[in-house]
Amino acid sequence: MRVALNDVSVRFGQVLAVDRVSLAIEPGEIHALVGENGAGKSTLMNMLFGLVIPTGGTITIDGVPRRWASPQDAIGAGLGMVHQHFMLQESMSVLENIVLCAEPVGRFGFVDFAEARARVGAIARTHGIGVDLDRPLGRLSVGERQAVEILKVLYREADLLILDEPTAVLTPQEKSRLFDALRSFRAAGKAIVLITHKLDEVMEIADRVSVMRAGRLVASSPLADTTREEIGRGIVGGDLPAPRTRKAQEPGDVILSVDALTVARRGRDVGPISFKLRAGEIVGIAGVSGNGQAELVRALTGLEPLRSGSVRLCGERIDSLDVERRRRLGMSYIPEDRQRMGLALGASVSENANAGRDDRAAYAAGPFLKHRALARFARSLIDNYRIRVAGPRAAAATMSGGNKQKLVVGRELTRGTPLVIAENPTWGVDIGAIDFIHGELMRMRDAGHAILLISTELDEVIALSDRILVMYAGEISGEVAGGEASRDRVGALMTARASDAFGEVA
Amino acid sequence: MAAANGIGRAVLPWALTLLWIGAIVFALLLFVGAPFGEAISGFLQGAFGGRRHAYLMATLSRSALIVGMAVSVMLSFRAGLFNIGGEGQLVAGGLAAALAAILLPGPPLLVLVAAIFAAMLAGAAWALLAGVLQLYMGVPLLVGSLLLNYPIRYIASYMVAHPFRDVPSGMVQSHLVPQGTWLASFPGTRLDVGILFTLAATAFALVYSYSTVHGYHTRLNGLSKEFARTVGLPVRKLTLQTLAISGAIAGLVGAIAVFGIHHRYIDGMLVQPLYAWTGIIAVLLVGMVPWAVPLSGFFFAAVQTGAAGMERTAGVPKEIALVIQAVIILFVASRVSGALSSKDGGRGGDA
Repeated sequence: MRVALNDVSVRFGQVLAVDRVSLAIEPGEIHALVGENGAGKSTLMNMLFGLVIPTGGTITIDGVPRRWASPQDAIGAGLGMVHQHFMLQESMSVLENIVLCAEPVGRFGFVDFAEARARVGAIARTHGIGVDLDRPLGRLSVGERQAVEILKVLYREADLLILDEPTAVLTPQEKSRLFDALRSFRAAGKAIVLITHKLDEVMEIADRVSVMRAGRLVASSPLADTTREEIGRGIVGGDLPAPRTRKAQEPGDVILSVDALTVARRGRDVGPISFKLRAGEIVGIAGVSGNGQAELVRALTGLEPLRSGSVRLCGERIDSLDVERRRRLGMSYIPEDRQRMGLALGASVSENANAGRDDRAAYAAGPFLKHRALARFARSLIDNYRIRVAGPRAAAATMSGGNKQKLVVGRELTRGTPLVIAENPTWGVDIGAIDFIHGELMRMRDAGHAILLISTELDEVIALSDRILVMYAGEISGEVAGGEASRDRVGALMTARASDAFGEVA
Repeated sequence: MAAANGIGRAVLPWALTLLWIGAIVFALLLFVGAPFGEAISGFLQGAFGGRRHAYLMATLSRSALIVGMAVSVMLSFRAGLFNIGGEGQLVAGGLAAALAAILLPGPPLLVLVAAIFAAMLAGAAWALLAGVLQLYMGVPLLVGSLLLNYPIRYIASYMVAHPFRDVPSGMVQSHLVPQGTWLASFPGTRLDVGILFTLAATAFALVYSYSTVHGYHTRLNGLSKEFARTVGLPVRKLTLQTLAISGAIAGLVGAIAVFGIHHRYIDGMLVQPLYAWTGIIAVLLVGMVPWAVPLSGFFFAAVQTGAAGMERTAGVPKEIALVIQAVIILFVASRVSGALSSKDGGRGGDA
């Protein structure tokens, strides 16, 4: 199936999200679509899939112009999309999820599960995807859920697969299994669109690469005709940032010491966890999402009580203090979820920037706010952290993801506390913002602050950390030194169970 | 050109809304055979006219209570606390005011001050009860505050039906409060100075919402509880304090009703006119934007007294007057909340 987009545009209000893009997707090819967040990649694909109505241009399939009223039409025409956020039913089994809304119906109108099982099994075998069809979905790991999503698309006989940042949630091993499956689809003559912003993946698997920036298609060529540097320049509209160099420094005093900490969790408690964090070092906590990192962070920040163990910050016991007192003692926290925890989206930039400040005298006179001081502080964050926003009075919701995150990072780092806890600080932000945030964390480290970096992004942990702790199944499965050399070791420590997702023939 | 266009865009929807209201009201009046022009002038007269503006004063008197309740509710709602127990807090305040004034000895002015203080305390306590139920026993505030309306209503009924009943009057009501504690009227009118208390409460609420640290923190808590906790705001304390402020204002409104209007506690006097519920609707109508809340409260009072005026002068049946009232509120609500929310809230979510 040959899909072509001709001069398509999408407009959201004043914003031209996709600006006259023409693109051809060939069968038997893996077509990587790269670009920063907000460059229009997802919008373009959502449009192709019928989720967004184009304001101009046409879609043709095998030369025939088509127009979708809804994704149902697109699915009917042989398109399939695996979204970043899975759309699955927790309480149903894998098989039920796969056939949902496309059930083979036997006589008397009953679902013919035997028929469904045979078909799904055949597809899985062909492409080497192994999933137990009878397990309830709620018990599956993220990688396995993704396999289910892919099977769902294949079951509907899609000839074009769109995968929106499929590797963001996967371990290295899971990723390599996914790529094996994608190669198998390519061999079967299917067209595959891979939305990503990781250049390594493009270089590894793509046949053709298209680069988007600010809604426009800036380049599209076979991978062989371009280079990594050229793609990188196309994405950011300039040269890629240079790799980071770290200042060699001896870590100082112990800032955070965690001793035999356990936290309640449904199923099995997290912990016991013990580690020490010193001034002037970044300790990375790597691991696949859901291995207890979230619970650890919530216990450290005071959002959740511990079950047992102790936590000391600068020598003082903090495990029974509330969030406010812990912060005042010297803790800052960049939460993973900027939409709900990092920011109050309904409030203005200024209101967000000034939340949680300890220097009350600087922004308040008695019970009254000093509005000018608030605005001045917000302005200084906007300038220092290069946040692109209309001004302190603009609503926080009007910023892009990267700028929202910069505001959170700026607010927390400006407090200058001995301890900074950063939880997936660059999740879902563009390359420019990632580089900036990494730079700020590094600057804090060099200035002698202790930084606990919890991240599911292995590249990030390896690039920034002095030491890396790996979490698996609620415990620390090992500690390794930072740096590129330990990548394989970290990968092995974080993936004891990932073997179920892709690979073995069912 | 562009400016003219902008004004047109702002005015046109309102013109359309008015046209719709006019059309429906016209149809309704035609249906009951009432004269259209007379009914409309009756409505306007009833809301704003009267000899020496007597009806306008009635509207203002009603506004004093509705706006007061609206302000009380607004403070809770903006803090993300769905305290819909304003009625109970109002009753607690009114009852406490009346009983304190009847029982306390001393110079009238002192008694008045003490009684108002008691009313605010009672309102605050009743609101805090709902807060404590939520924080320490897990009863959602929405449920707890609503259910707490009932016991206090019947406690008040019992109090004025039995121990404190003015038996000779033959009504279920308390004795009159000492005449010295009655709020004075503005010279030449029948409007009592209670509205000044409401204005003060409104001024307090506006300054509080826009310019105090506490108001800023509660607003953040209202916008996102997760966020408030994450940046270390004392969420529990803020919740209880906000409820106490809300309840105290509701209690104050109860005291205004006692000392300004009825001069005693009459069973049902604060419940039947639905002051608290009208206050809630008035706040929701303008999407909790503080400066618009008093205007919205005044609007509701005017529609109510206007409908009564239409009934009197044009012989429109009461039921139809109520339907007309509802039509006006519905259409204005759709307009106002649409305009305020698109301007204020805006787009959510990001990449």
